[in-house]
Amino acid sequence: MTPSPLSLATARPAHKPHAEGDEQHFCTTCAFAGVCLPGGYEKSALAELQCLIEHTDPIQPGRHIFRVNDPFHAVYAVRAGTVKTYVVDDEGREQVLGFFLPGELIGLDAIHPAHYPCNALALDTVTLCRFSFPAIASLAARMPNLQAQLFRLMSKDIAASSLLAGDFSADERLAAFLISLSDRLANRGYSATRVHLVMSRADIANYLRLATETVSRVLRRFQDENLIEVERREVAIRDLPRLKHLARCVLRT
Amino acid sequence: MDPSPSLAAPAFDAELIARHDLNGPRYTSYPTAPHFDVLFGEAEYRAAAAASNEEPIPRPLSLYVHLPFCPSPCFYCGCNRVITRNRTEIGAYLVRLEREIALQAALFDRDRQVLQLHMGGGTPNYLDLEQMAALMDALRSGFTFGPESLREFSIEIDPRLTGAGTMAGLARLGFNRASFGVQDFDPAVQEAINRIQGIEETLGVIADARAAGFRSVSVDLIYGLPLQSLEGFARTLEIVIAGRPDRIAVYGYAHLPEVFKAQRQIDPADMPPASTRLALLGLAIDTLRRAGYQYLGMDHFALPQDELAQAQSAGDLQRNFQGYSTHAECDLVGLGVSAIGKVGDCYAANARDLTGYYAAIDAGHLAVMRGHRLTEDDTLRGSIIQALMCSGDLDMQAFSERHGFDFGQRYAAELNRLEPLVSDGLVRIEAGHLRVTPRGRLLVRLVAMAFDAYLARPGEKAPRYSRVI
Repeated sequence: MTPSPLSLATARPAHKPHAEGDEQHFCTTCAFAGVCLPGGYEKSALAELQCLIEHTDPIQPGRHIFRVNDPFHAVYAVRAGTVKTYVVDDEGREQVLGFFLPGELIGLDAIHPAHYPCNALALDTVTLCRFSFPAIASLAARMPNLQAQLFRLMSKDIAASSLLAGDFSADERLAAFLISLSDRLANRGYSATRVHLVMSRADIANYLRLATETVSRVLRRFQDENLIEVERREVAIRDLPRLKHLARCVLRT
Repeated sequence: MDPSPSLAAPAFDAELIARHDLNGPRYTSYPTAPHFDVLFGEAEYRAAAAASNEEPIPRPLSLYVHLPFCPSPCFYCGCNRVITRNRTEIGAYLVRLEREIALQAALFDRDRQVLQLHMGGGTPNYLDLEQMAALMDALRSGFTFGPESLREFSIEIDPRLTGAGTMAGLARLGFNRASFGVQDFDPAVQEAINRIQGIEETLGVIADARAAGFRSVSVDLIYGLPLQSLEGFARTLEIVIAGRPDRIAVYGYAHLPEVFKAQRQIDPADMPPASTRLALLGLAIDTLRRAGYQYLGMDHFALPQDELAQAQSAGDLQRNFQGYSTHAECDLVGLGVSAIGKVGDCYAANARDLTGYYAAIDAGHLAVMRGHRLTEDDTLRGSIIQALMCSGDLDMQAFSERHGFDFGQRYAAELNRLEPLVSDGLVRIEAGHLRVTPRGRLLVRLVAMAFDAYLARPGEKAPRYSRVI
């Protein structure tokens, strides 16, 4: 049920990715950008897909995109900013499910229940592409590449949800968190070694199922061991290979 | 990096200093407190504190506690203080202070350790040991104190108000640093400033502090006081140096009777002429250097083995509201009337008088009345001023690279403003560095002022600051 793997944070772009798509081009960060690359879709099909997309107005930090039990009509792709998904359990405790970066989809877990099973909150200023679900589903029936991409995204989502379930140490969890962030950012053309943690340490701790102070203690030790350097909310990864080695069991790489 | 120009002793040039002596801020913050804004209040402070907890590795904490009461007025004093002989007034204040401690402590996650504590005044040791113990209990129950070896817990001491067990008692409560107000031992000066303080009692208290295990002992002197003479001040320096305090501060007396009421008690006829004032400073610098003290900057000297001197040699010296420090990475929580804190990117100042402070606390609120959220420009200028004040060396090349702009272009007007100081040999611009020369060290505030975007320039109305020297 969890979203993408150790979903993450945002980063300072190493170079500036194209912010806006147009009729012929997707945003470079788009979750569906891959759809048209291999097949070389006809412009008309691409235009049809583009028609489904609504770019939302910027959502201010601390505002919700949807709340638990809202009826499901659409999935969202993050264009800019970071989204946190969470539920509140019967005891009133918040449980963080994941963090979504540019290029990642939220709302895939709502297809079956037909209502959103979690809350989605903008951690910073967030812009989204909204895909009407009935429309994209019917288009997918006609566009095999689109269908394949949808399946890929859903499968990734399911696989990621079980990653943190193992009996991993705090060191392994945090290393995996940072490496996951780094990988995802690198895939979008951002620096792999500079991560801006927009989520609070309490959110990180909650997501990784660690105590809040453990997060800071482990990060401080990573810093002492020259794995990373932390300045306020900026994390610079100083030793990517060693950190990857620590993360390998969680990420199954 | 070549530390030599900044670590050289300051050169004393009376003519140069006389020519440049004017009023300027001391830059314990940038922007300085007069520029804090009433639009920054409790809500903004709470948000800043919450955000500071959210960082992946939140900063440790530094606490400043203001204890404003004194039994009698020293006429030179420009501090926020309350003169009272009525000890129940202190009790009434401590009740509010403990409430504020509880409110403030609740804002900070408990795993954030307190590494620094400073009690300033007023006269902190006007509190008796029982009151001080209760205050420390309140702090300890709200905040988490760091391990003993890392703690710098300091207190300002008026030696006249100490008894036989005072220093040992304070050491038991956790204090390991003390600064002792001396000013001048010359009896004529002491009478003119309404502070009669014996040599024996002062040296005795300093010895008590050492015996009680205080790790660092500091003595405060003042030059430019009424009736002060070179002979008298030379004798004071000699007595103080014989006690080998780790640090000695030599503050310039700022005579601003229109701002500080107590100073109106000083007969203007007793004020030393500018030439004497400068000669007193020259004497202090020369005497302390010959006695082996290292100049830290501004008004501060330390023995070479002192940790501030070591930090300066290593390039780690910092400047905050308590003056020079080795801990910059702390969030500073200001407690008590008129206290100023810095949390994250925000400065926050408490109510300046007891009435306002009590009203806020009694209504269940924090006492934050003014503050300032740093802009990006503030942060940049603040770090320039910090580098100038602490190491006397600004690497403009590295600064440009770090921030992705051309220093010379961005700060062209500022560098222009420095031209006269360059001609006078106070600063040098060479090899991408801006270096304060030994001649310029005593006037470093002038160099810093060139980068202060809040200062009114000639023709505009400026806030009132003490003289540079």
